Amino acid sequence: MSTSSSHQENPEPKKVQFPLDSTAYQILDEIGFGVSAVVYKAICLPMNNTIVAIKSIDLDQSRADFDRIRRETKTLSLLSHPNILSAHCSFTVDRHLWVVMPFMSAGSLQSIMSSAFPDGLPETCIAIVLRETLKAMSYLHDQGHLHRDIKAGNILIDFNGSVKVADFGVSASVYEANSSGESSTRLNDVAGTPYWMAPEVIHSHNGYGCKADVWSFGITALELAHGGPPLSNLPPSKSLLLKITKRFRFSDYENLHDKNYKSKKFSKAFKDLVGCCLDQDPNKRPTAERLLRHSFFKNCRGLDFLVKNVLLGLPSVEERFKKTRALGGLMKGKGINAEDEEDEEDEEEDDEGSSARQRAKHRRISGWNFNEDEFDLDPVFPVRPLGDSAVKMVWFGGETIIQDRGGEWSESNPSSPGRVDEEAESENVGVMETEREAMAVGEHSENVGEIRGLLGGGGVDEEALVGALSGYVVGDLDREAIVGGLVAFIGSLDQQRQNVMTLLSVLRGVEAWEVSREEQMGQVIERLRVELENERERNFQLEMELEFLRIQISGVHSSTGAGID
Amino acid sequence: MKGLFKSKPRTPADVVRQTRDLLIYAQRTPDSRESKREEKMSELCKNIREMKSILYGNSESEPVSEACAQLTQEFFKENTLRLLIMCLPKLNLEARKDATQVVANLQRQQVQSKLIASDYLEANIDLMDILIQGYGNTDMALHYGAMLRECIRHQTVARYVLESEHMKKFFDYIQLPNFDIAADAAATFKELLTRHKSTVAEFLSKNYDWFFAEYNSKLLESSNYITRRQAVKLLGDILLDRSNSAVMTRYVSSRDNLRILMNLLRESSKSIQIEAFHVFKLFAANQNKPADIVSILVANRSKLLRLFADFKIDKEDEQFEADKAQVVREIAALEPKDHS
Repeated sequence: MSTSSSHQENPEPKKVQFPLDSTAYQILDEIGFGVSAVVYKAICLPMNNTIVAIKSIDLDQSRADFDRIRRETKTLSLLSHPNILSAHCSFTVDRHLWVVMPFMSAGSLQSIMSSAFPDGLPETCIAIVLRETLKAMSYLHDQGHLHRDIKAGNILIDFNGSVKVADFGVSASVYEANSSGESSTRLNDVAGTPYWMAPEVIHSHNGYGCKADVWSFGITALELAHGGPPLSNLPPSKSLLLKITKRFRFSDYENLHDKNYKSKKFSKAFKDLVGCCLDQDPNKRPTAERLLRHSFFKNCRGLDFLVKNVLLGLPSVEERFKKTRALGGLMKGKGINAEDEEDEEDEEEDDEGSSARQRAKHRRISGWNFNEDEFDLDPVFPVRPLGDSAVKMVWFGGETIIQDRGGEWSESNPSSPGRVDEEAESENVGVMETEREAMAVGEHSENVGEIRGLLGGGGVDEEALVGALSGYVVGDLDREAIVGGLVAFIGSLDQQRQNVMTLLSVLRGVEAWEVSREEQMGQVIERLRVELENERERNFQLEMELEFLRIQISGVHSSTGAGID
Repeated sequence: MKGLFKSKPRTPADVVRQTRDLLIYAQRTPDSRESKREEKMSELCKNIREMKSILYGNSESEPVSEACAQLTQEFFKENTLRLLIMCLPKLNLEARKDATQVVANLQRQQVQSKLIASDYLEANIDLMDILIQGYGNTDMALHYGAMLRECIRHQTVARYVLESEHMKKFFDYIQLPNFDIAADAAATFKELLTRHKSTVAEFLSKNYDWFFAEYNSKLLESSNYITRRQAVKLLGDILLDRSNSAVMTRYVSSRDNLRILMNLLRESSKSIQIEAFHVFKLFAANQNKPADIVSILVANRSKLLRLFADFKIDKEDEQFEADKAQVVREIAALEPKDHS
């Protein structure tokens, strides 16, 4: 479309053909790794020593997913847009598939943030990055592709400031998904990374479209603003997953922020942008195309601004990676499911917090359950994969509220226009269960929002909370104090629960919520039932097959013997 | 560009007709003085995109079956498909992709519950030659390959390709160094050999000798890991399909085949080992093993039993374990036979 207003006889600027032979490349450095892939920085010798990134995927380890890899590389080689990281070429080297790509020297935004901007990027820079990301999304969507994994870890930057969206590991084409004859522009399988995942993706039986990417884009905007996506300071420790059934509440934390933390102010335009991306109803979310015309991008600066304000002085991708390594390569992660062949950037995270998050990424959510109220999100973790059977709920209050990774409370994003601001202020003081917050328990336990934030629970127990804490390594926090705080907190929980239940039923009616929980369990049961049915079917088929083989082979007995010397 | 057709809404048939006219134009050798050419090419791309959105719907609307039927009818009434295939190299990347999706979709469109695409292709079967040869052209391979795979959904088309000389070329296409193209060719190859059961069975019995000779030497014994892995997997799929039982019987009676499969069983790659097992089990389960097969198995009995003792797959699979146990029983019980 737009970029190549190409001439007919010379349809495309002739793509430079990179050599399809490993000896043409010299590997310089390892810059990332994932479950079954390693990413190298390398030079291509016959191409004037052009620097490239080579993602080497171990095909023997990604056994089941060969078709997915094929789709990914095919998608990549058929996309052509300045904001999309495409592949120069790909070829196999023994058991590995090498995907040769342009080297994005500044790495991913996620890596940049964890290295230099733990509390998020300045708004001006965010605008630039988001605008470039939207251009890529707009192109993709126009092509009928969904990215399905938009997040800071998949947005790469070069030292010249150019921004490219990468990692099409889970991308899908709506034009290839319709062989079964269902609605053509909808997809049904669950893919992506939980924190960024849109409600309808998790409710994937309803199908979803491009607007799912718009949701992830909204979450990514918050991630860039705060240094981490909502929920990212939840330790993904197993015990937490297994034991906690809980509802979290994020809220307007302007009035709760840390003393020495200066609350960030975000422009109205930015909040509005995020708000409309995070509309629960996909149909109400604007298209990427339309978002590009949002007032937030008026007077948006050029790429050089990004270079000056973000990239200068940044350690190189290699250095950042080495540092990560030195820290113990924590995220070498037993990715709970091997689906995420990490791209270079994914692995470049270099603090413990993000390594915890790294592991969290591998967790899948099976659904977002909605409460009746707007911006009530209840992600449901699937029961199936490796017993991650926790049901966790997230509740973005009447507004979209995000918790900062460092523990500072973020400002809210007014995305529920119908709401009166003051009401929101007083009502939406939510609490996310983190160390810092636990410490703050004493002072805030009378806070309505917080209590309500803990309501979802039932299954909250001390052990789980402690387990949660130990899963989350935090440098500057006193664990004793945290645990103490938590224990105290839990002690008063039941009573608070009672009180707040009463309070809640007055304020907005508890029934709605109870119903939604039931619904959600109902869905889980339904899903399992379908699975069971499938298994039975398969079992039956296999039995038939076996029977058939027996017959065949005993048939052979009587009919052959000839034709053999 | 000037919104020439904005005034009245065009019917799907109009879009096809205009596309056809522009394709005829595009096919002509370009005259450098034609200033309009670029404009017309861009108009062509827009029309192709328009067809795509009629067939697939867009962000605002789902496809309307009546409109799809109209478009399909007009498309196959004349030689639009041929023109589109011939002109594809002249289009830009985006238009190529759109065209590919249009062609793919049209293969499934029914007009009065008839797949008219199938009739058209039968009468224009030489188009398959162009599409298959696309694998030799880096720029066109993925587009032509995708179209080809849709066309062989029609049984008559698949039969034509299977019985053509092209079939032999696939053994090379599958091993092209460019991964995308090789993988695309492999996907087409697999589709050809698995989709239309009766046609495949007929093809395999008629062409058994050359086909499996090529299959063994070029694919199963390839030096390329991914080729071996895909080939042994596909072989299992083919032989375990009940419609191919005669072929299976023949395959498992050959000592050469057994030797190849036993070599694959010894590979260090777990994936290949497992797929090889699914073929090997057929040799072992054969209740009427030829003497030379028996003697190979007996000669290697202890090695095989040791191999299977450690042979595990990552996730539990009862079927696999049961198969393994049966194979072990069979091999353990073998008595050397006299050569006849």
